[in-house]
Amino acid sequence: MMKANDVSKALQCLMLIVALGYLTVSQPVFAANPVPGPAQSQPILLHNATVHTAVGEAEVQDVLLVDGKIAAVGRQLAIPADTERFDLTGKHLYPGLIALINQLGLIEVGAVRATRDDREITDTNPDLQVQVAFNADSVVIPTIRSNGFSHSLIYPAGSMIAGRSALMQLDGWNWQDSLVQSDVGLHVNWPSMSIRTGWRSQHSPDKQREQQQQQLEQLQHYFTQAHAYYLAEQAGKNRGKDSRWHSMLPFFAAELPLFVHADDPRQIRQAMQLAQQYQARLVIVGGRDSWRIADELAAADVAVIYTAPFGLPTRADEGYDQAFMAPGQLREAGVRVALSLDGFWDTRNLVFATGHVTRYGLSKQDALLALTLDAAKIAGVADQLGSIEVGKSASLVVSDGDIFDYLGHQIEYMWIDGRLVDLDNHHKQLNRRYQQRYRQ
Amino acid sequence: MMKKNALWISVVSASLVAPMLYADQTSPQLGIRDKTPNLVALTNATVTTEPGRKLNQATILIKDGVIESVQSGGSVPAGYQTHDLSGYHVYAGFIDPYTQYGIEQATSVEGFRFGQPPQYSHERKGGNASNAAIHAERRWVDDFKPDASAAKSLTEQGFTTVQSARHDGIFRGAALVASLQQALPGDAILRAEGRHFLSFSKGSSTQSYPSSLMGSMALMRQTLSDANWYASAQGKTDVRFHGGPIEFNASLAALGRLPEQGVLFETTDERSLLRAHQLLAEFSLDDAVLVGSGFEYARLDQVKATNRPLILPLNFPAAPDVQLVDTQLDVSLADLRHWERAPANPAAVAQEGIPFALTSHGLEKKSEFWPNLRKAIRAGLTEQQALAALTTVPAGMVGFADRLGKVAAGYQADLVVSRGDLFADGEIVATWLRGQAQQHSPVNPVGFSGRYAIHIADQAAELVLTGRAPKLKGEVSLAEKTVKLEHLHTLGSQLQFSLPLKELTGQAVVLQFQGQLREQELRGTWSDAAGDTHSMQSQRQPVESKASKPSDTAASTMISRLTFPNRAFGVTALPQQQNLHIKNATVWSATDAGVLEQTDVIVRDGRIRQLGQNLSTPRGYQLVDATGMHLTPGIIDEHSHIATEQGVNEGSHANTAEVRLADVVNPDDINIYRGLAGGVTTVQLLHGSANPIGGQAQILSLRWGQDATGMKFREAPPSIKFALGENVKQSNWGAQFTSRYPQTRIGVDTFIRDQFQAAKEYQAQWEAYQGLSRRERNQVAPPRKDYQLETLVEILNEQRHIHTHSYVASEILMLMALADEMGFRINTFTHILEGYKVAPEMKAHGASVSTFADWWGFKMEVNDAIPTNACLMHEQGLNVSVNSDDPGLLRRLNQEAAKSVMYCNMDEHEALKMVTINPAIQLKIDDKVGSIEVGKQADFVLWDGHPLSVYSQVQQTWIEGAKYFDRESDLQQRQQLQQERQQLIQKVLTAGESARQGSTTGYKDDDPIWHCDDRADWLHIRFGHQYGHSHAHSHAHGHQQEHH
Repeated sequence: MMKANDVSKALQCLMLIVALGYLTVSQPVFAANPVPGPAQSQPILLHNATVHTAVGEAEVQDVLLVDGKIAAVGRQLAIPADTERFDLTGKHLYPGLIALINQLGLIEVGAVRATRDDREITDTNPDLQVQVAFNADSVVIPTIRSNGFSHSLIYPAGSMIAGRSALMQLDGWNWQDSLVQSDVGLHVNWPSMSIRTGWRSQHSPDKQREQQQQQLEQLQHYFTQAHAYYLAEQAGKNRGKDSRWHSMLPFFAAELPLFVHADDPRQIRQAMQLAQQYQARLVIVGGRDSWRIADELAAADVAVIYTAPFGLPTRADEGYDQAFMAPGQLREAGVRVALSLDGFWDTRNLVFATGHVTRYGLSKQDALLALTLDAAKIAGVADQLGSIEVGKSASLVVSDGDIFDYLGHQIEYMWIDGRLVDLDNHHKQLNRRYQQRYRQ
Repeated sequence: MMKKNALWISVVSASLVAPMLYADQTSPQLGIRDKTPNLVALTNATVTTEPGRKLNQATILIKDGVIESVQSGGSVPAGYQTHDLSGYHVYAGFIDPYTQYGIEQATSVEGFRFGQPPQYSHERKGGNASNAAIHAERRWVDDFKPDASAAKSLTEQGFTTVQSARHDGIFRGAALVASLQQALPGDAILRAEGRHFLSFSKGSSTQSYPSSLMGSMALMRQTLSDANWYASAQGKTDVRFHGGPIEFNASLAALGRLPEQGVLFETTDERSLLRAHQLLAEFSLDDAVLVGSGFEYARLDQVKATNRPLILPLNFPAAPDVQLVDTQLDVSLADLRHWERAPANPAAVAQEGIPFALTSHGLEKKSEFWPNLRKAIRAGLTEQQALAALTTVPAGMVGFADRLGKVAAGYQADLVVSRGDLFADGEIVATWLRGQAQQHSPVNPVGFSGRYAIHIADQAAELVLTGRAPKLKGEVSLAEKTVKLEHLHTLGSQLQFSLPLKELTGQAVVLQFQGQLREQELRGTWSDAAGDTHSMQSQRQPVESKASKPSDTAASTMISRLTFPNRAFGVTALPQQQNLHIKNATVWSATDAGVLEQTDVIVRDGRIRQLGQNLSTPRGYQLVDATGMHLTPGIIDEHSHIATEQGVNEGSHANTAEVRLADVVNPDDINIYRGLAGGVTTVQLLHGSANPIGGQAQILSLRWGQDATGMKFREAPPSIKFALGENVKQSNWGAQFTSRYPQTRIGVDTFIRDQFQAAKEYQAQWEAYQGLSRRERNQVAPPRKDYQLETLVEILNEQRHIHTHSYVASEILMLMALADEMGFRINTFTHILEGYKVAPEMKAHGASVSTFADWWGFKMEVNDAIPTNACLMHEQGLNVSVNSDDPGLLRRLNQEAAKSVMYCNMDEHEALKMVTINPAIQLKIDDKVGSIEVGKQADFVLWDGHPLSVYSQVQQTWIEGAKYFDRESDLQQRQQLQQERQQLIQKVLTAGESARQGSTTGYKDDDPIWHCDDRADWLHIRFGHQYGHSHAHSHAHGHQQEHH
């Protein structure tokens, strides 16, 4: 009854099935993702590109890739005999872009619950390891890759202590294949600290404050409990293994950074106190108001993954471009910044959002860092990723022009760990398919 | 401490229980008949007979509840009981025209929760209306019962008469006018049918419709029309035009009397007030009073132009919470400004000569009435204006200008007696209701105040009494020590109190005094610890009165600026048209002329007059050097939900063609200004996508600063939103929403077909009716006007154009086939993410398309959305635009257009057309805007770079030759706003405790950022009891929402 090539009917039927509750397992509608690239089998020379190393000025030079690593950067490099050459004259070479904070591979279709594995219940989920639900075959992922992103930091949403994030490379057969780094951060959603008034507020200011205080105490209590477990564990006095608190042992051993999702200065300052109390490395995710306390953040060496580079102002009184200005203000004060759009499918626009904010105070060099080396540093993988330097992973991307501008952005090649990535995707396939229709 | 004077209590209670002068005629008389006379003379009073007229040393004669005479001097005839009011002021009793006095309030809808199943009908009883928010048939006189405690709180403020009805629903029913006298209801009622109360709130109704402000207005419009029709149809029915006998409908019957009954419409802010006015004007309801909100000052000219009298509340807001630096984050400049300006609202209204009454409505405690009125007076309201607002004006409103509101012969003996001038610092001591006194505190109380020499433990001491009963205070000083008296109690000239000695002598005993003041001598006895008594007498010595405490600082000058709209980035004056010579720009014409380098543009009277190179500057023209800049037409968005108030969807019914975005334009939305900063000059406000046939759209020209009327794009042809797919079949609404037809795309087809069939039959009925001879028409009522079907008829007649939300190929083809069958056309498919699959079919139909540049993944029906959609459709010859559907995205539509250059090599000029001339064509305003060519409106943007580059920034945005955005001035303004904000915060902080007094619900609240599928019951949220409602609706900031 269903013609295989009748896309809209397929959709309709699928929706009916979902509505009737027969389909309970997430399934990609199309299984037409490109095949992951094979391991690098011969040296590769990227010749004569404008190389944006992220550690120095861009200049025209060559990059040699051997066994999945960057083997040399410079001009007139010594080239092994069997080297494959890519002439990149006039093109731009960047480190593979890193998108921190999104839910790629966790959500396939936003509105379809069966396709979502992005949010767990309960307040205490430090033991969640997000990578195990990463769908390496998500049709969304190739559409992100083809705009220059080679890596993504995915995180579990939820309330309070939400779980642990993982850095994934975006061209793998399965989550184990794709996993670069697990336990990147322990994610905490900080309770809201702003007070609402007016007709849309549900509770009086006093009631709101009371609830906020309760939530804050609750959160602090969880950390106290986990700390008690940590102390008892050191002394060998725990009576069993608490899945939740056990997974927080590395946090108290200063091995698991704290990623706090917070926008408001009240929240951020509270989070800084907590981090200080437990000597944790703190990263603020969201950070809409972080510019207001940029100096404090810089002094405490707190990094920000800023999620509103395209955002509306947070408050009615703020300038129309306040959300655009924040990354520049943070850098100005010396805060390490990465950028994110905190979604899934729209991650492909992050590169343009990053270009956009350079008109509002972020330098172009800092913009590049925000999607490469600084992102890698925040994710704790700067030893492997984030810059074009000898010894690092051969994860690179080539754009015909300026990667950050619509007028230059044309992704022509991508390598991840030296593997050439097929940049085809669902969208290009459909585009070709319907071009066929109009040629017939 | 017993403070009350027992004599006073007995006076009051006597008036409560004593048989009434106005005893009715029909109740059986049991026991002895009461024949107490009512002959009263009030003498030596300062009487304000009416606003602006004062008599000194006047005598008022009252006979049987009515004022017989008032005159200066004047003698008292024999037989009259005389009250000497030397030093007292007398005013006419106050009238509150907007109360719920004596009526039980509606049951709260706090039990109502979102996520409950929708409710599409309600219980029908008798002749009630089909909508539960309509109570037009209610005559509240039938429920009226005098309420002693409510009356007391009102009479203490000087009120003697009220107009009252239940404040529940949209059409609330007929009010009554009653005296606050405690009497049989039939005696207290002065008028059984007062004005008909109206509001936009559906109150206690749990029916789903209406769920938005525009739905509320549509329901009101249809109901008022129905009422006219119902009256006309009686006895003139004809099955050809009415389908059957005319129903019995008590609500409509009652509304037929609206013109003579008069209307009282409650509003929530000045925008709401202007809407109420327009709706009433549509139905020529001239006799209407509008209950204001305290925000009238914000658009005073427009409020004045309504020519309608107002009723103003005095519930001035408490200052925003700025006590901590942290809490200031949650406070907006708009709220700070309103806090400062609200008390000056009555004065501002008065200065414009707008007639208004005052109401105690909205005050959390009625005792706040006078303190707040004095605030208004300090802010500039004159005594005369205030008194008129309490007496003569409301008397007229309730239809008793000849009986109430003045102290004059023949007027009801309703009086307010004040010790001192009430409008300065007087105190209301009595209120007279139809010749009967309600004593609140004694007139001419015995003055105990003074110094008395006494002895305590054989030592000379001093007793000092201050104030007057029942607020008498006292203390005793011995040596250097002073202690306060306790249990101070007076009864007439009698005085009792307790004196603890501990602080004075160290003894842990209490002395008690009992005595009487007679002709300056206090005589009495002390009782000691042992119970022994010791007599005492002491002459009263005058106590020098302390300078009366300074009343709150006099009206200081306003710190806050008043802007349009009155919030940060509002304008103090509307931008003016300028004649311009823009020199040396790279002009993106959006015409066949393409991109013109080094080109000059001449703008005169709001229009583009000339394009060329090296033009000379005409005399008097403003020269704009645009060297290095790009000039494009103003950006146009086919699909926007900004500037929309209280609901983007009337999401209840499947067809809501009767609702109008035009009704709910919010000119104060900051996203208008933000849009200008992104180069946007025109947007189409579309209804959401919750139903197959949505509401009527409205095109705006973003003239920031204008009111709703001024914001509307002039002469834009009407349009309407349709929708298909998941949203209309409620796929993602949750398990409760499965009962509305249609639930499938199959059903959407039949539903829309049936609606158009009905529209055709409706049209045929009207044509048949209009075909009747005049004689026949006199005998037959016309068909009932149906706003919903009329809208569809407009579509069939090509007078209104469809913009339909659509995603998948099947539904696109379905709707076009259906349109062909039923004889209408789809103007624009919006979203149209699978449009690339059926582009030739749409081209053949004659439709245009407006798409997201690259959205997908957010729901099932967008799985095949691709970022080359615009290119593919463009290549097939369709008119393509790119839309935002989101206020964040609105500001970078140029970047959205650029994506087609990036993803599929669209020509750059063609790409820019997708956000300029193409949407202008879709909105059928391309004869006026959308391109840079001679004769068109001068709507343009100056960019500092290539308009499709991510690095370009809007520097200026112009509409009709007037500059609405300028980045440079914006940056300057920010410092000024910061300064103003800081000064207002200081003003709150220095005002101390007094700033915290006031209403906690008095501020406006910005609407959320609307999206197509927002479907909550916004009417309930807006009008729900403060803090009492619950709804799960939160929006992340600036982040694209997931369902569209």
